Amino acid sequence: MNLFRFLRSWEFFLVVLLVVEIAVLGLINPVFFNAENLLYATLDFTHILFAALPLTLVIITAGIDISGVSIMGLASITLGLAWVAGINIFVALAIALLVGILAGAFNGFFVAKTDVNPLVITLGTLFMFAGLAQGMPALLDKLGFKAYGSAGLAAYQYEGITGLPDEFIALTEGTVGIVPYPLIAVLAFTVLLSLLLHKTRFGRSLYLIGVNPKAAEYSGVPIRKILVWAYVLSGFGAALAGTMLTSYFTSARADLGGDALLPIITAVVLGGADILGGSGTVWGTLLAGLILGFLRQGLLALGVTSDLIQVVVGALLIGAMATKQLVHVFGEYRLNRKALFRRNGR
Amino acid sequence: MRSFLRSREALVGMLFVALLVVTGLFNPNFFKPESIVEIFNASLTLVLITLGEMFVILTRGIDVSVGAVAGLAAVVLGTTLNLGWPLGLAVAAALATGMLAGAVNAVGITLLRVPPIIMTLGTLGIYRGLMRVITGGSWIENLPQNIKEPNLWNLLGIPFFVWVGLALLALTMVLTLRVRVARYFYAVGDNEDGAYLLGLPVRWTQFAAYTLAGLFAAFAAVVFTSQIGFVSMNAADGFELKAIAANVLGGVSLTGGVGTPLGAAIGALFLTAVHSMLIFLGVPGIWDNAFAGAILLAVVYVDYRVRTALELQQRQARIRGDLSGGEPS
Repeated sequence: MNLFRFLRSWEFFLVVLLVVEIAVLGLINPVFFNAENLLYATLDFTHILFAALPLTLVIITAGIDISGVSIMGLASITLGLAWVAGINIFVALAIALLVGILAGAFNGFFVAKTDVNPLVITLGTLFMFAGLAQGMPALLDKLGFKAYGSAGLAAYQYEGITGLPDEFIALTEGTVGIVPYPLIAVLAFTVLLSLLLHKTRFGRSLYLIGVNPKAAEYSGVPIRKILVWAYVLSGFGAALAGTMLTSYFTSARADLGGDALLPIITAVVLGGADILGGSGTVWGTLLAGLILGFLRQGLLALGVTSDLIQVVVGALLIGAMATKQLVHVFGEYRLNRKALFRRNGR
Repeated sequence: MRSFLRSREALVGMLFVALLVVTGLFNPNFFKPESIVEIFNASLTLVLITLGEMFVILTRGIDVSVGAVAGLAAVVLGTTLNLGWPLGLAVAAALATGMLAGAVNAVGITLLRVPPIIMTLGTLGIYRGLMRVITGGSWIENLPQNIKEPNLWNLLGIPFFVWVGLALLALTMVLTLRVRVARYFYAVGDNEDGAYLLGLPVRWTQFAAYTLAGLFAAFAAVVFTSQIGFVSMNAADGFELKAIAANVLGGVSLTGGVGTPLGAAIGALFLTAVHSMLIFLGVPGIWDNAFAGAILLAVVYVDYRVRTALELQQRQARIRGDLSGGEPS
């Protein structure tokens, strides 16, 4: 990409926005100029990024996956149950991620095999996965397996499955220099997804499906297969988010991530992906996620309540979209005027 | 008759009755009139929100903020009541709040051209946040007795609010099936450009749909506030998704222009009844969501298979007709 195009891109605007935001927050509260604090603060919202990054791919295909928030809880509780059953914690982690992949494949299967709106399908699985996550411990307990961990039912209901081993907790506590592990994982995930999106046939097909599914089909793009993989990635990302939260909160819970739906979709849309499909980048999503996350941290540090922050985030989402739409309408208008003017001039 | 059998109302209606019968066979207590009335009473909130959401989905839109609108209206109702406002005025304020919240969605969608899912996702956060800002995050309790009274009124053994719900359902049925202006919802949802070229007020129709969704959410808020007698900060949380699920279950298509209020109401009744039935069958309540989600998926999948099979049949019939030189059927 040449420099001029980059300077005009949405991603560049987001970079500027991020820098301005940190500068403003830093001027109000110098804590924000401390790089270590800033990086450590990302731990509070890396789960949003893990889920939002692959969701970008789904939205590029003009789809949507709202079941991710339930997959988070499902992955978390799977990890906890597997660990209670005596399985090594890292094997349990792998099982939890596999559950995320399977859940994504389940979504993808229904989306690819039917013409039913992906919103409906993932709405159904949103309920289903959440229900499974809530029901599984109770079922296993009834079958005589001590699913609630050593502390029993009351403690489980209050704080989930706790007592996870230190080496698992260290996954989110550890740092390389001053950069926490999860942030490194997010960056690696972004690079991988970006390569996938821009350097492979798979990635380009995602855009084509989003712009014009008929054209994609007639040019021999294996639409169904590609859609399934997009949803698998989304499920995997949500499972990553769920297990990361489990490590961060040091407990496995069925309802983890329940309130993350709004910020996740906000990050993707603010990142420049068109909800109607055909455009978007993972770098945009990453930047938008960072902007939203730091905004939240900054407002909290300023003493703004989290309720009011919700209002701000909602307004930001609408404001960004409205601005984009108006800029688009104005741009069209200008182009039309120009074309008309040129014709009349000659 | 065939069109009746093919309709989604019939499919879900029969499924609903079948489930009632199965539950009744396992647990005869279930067939007592009180349990049936109780199901109707419990599903009222969702039925009302679903009916409002239906107008939006008919126009090919989506509103994920209706639960938050209901919560906000409930907060306004509770706050004004505790300020000593008379019941009628407080209810009017709640309904106005719902309409206003819906109108805000409508402005964003019709005027600013923000895609509906983004607009209402944004206002979902805004309204939920506002709820807590207004109350300072605490529940509204100690409501005056007069708000709880209507819940106790009943006629022929059927609670007052169930009558209100039935009346609103009948009203929307008449509206959508018999009134010309209300058919605009279907026209706009089925083919927006076509409706525009016919000279229908497309933007105003969409505006009306979102405002109605807000108004119905406020109706629901009045009902559940009266039923439970306090306003929690989680009031109607997640109802937006349930309302969409109920609509889809009842045959209101997200692609716009298809569906009836009766179907939507049956869908909502079904989703709520699942809870009561599972309890009567001895399944713990935590399986509600899993069951509801699985049913939703199964219904849309079966519907898809039936639809494609019918289309294939029709196409084959047409081809056969063409080959034999006869009239295509």
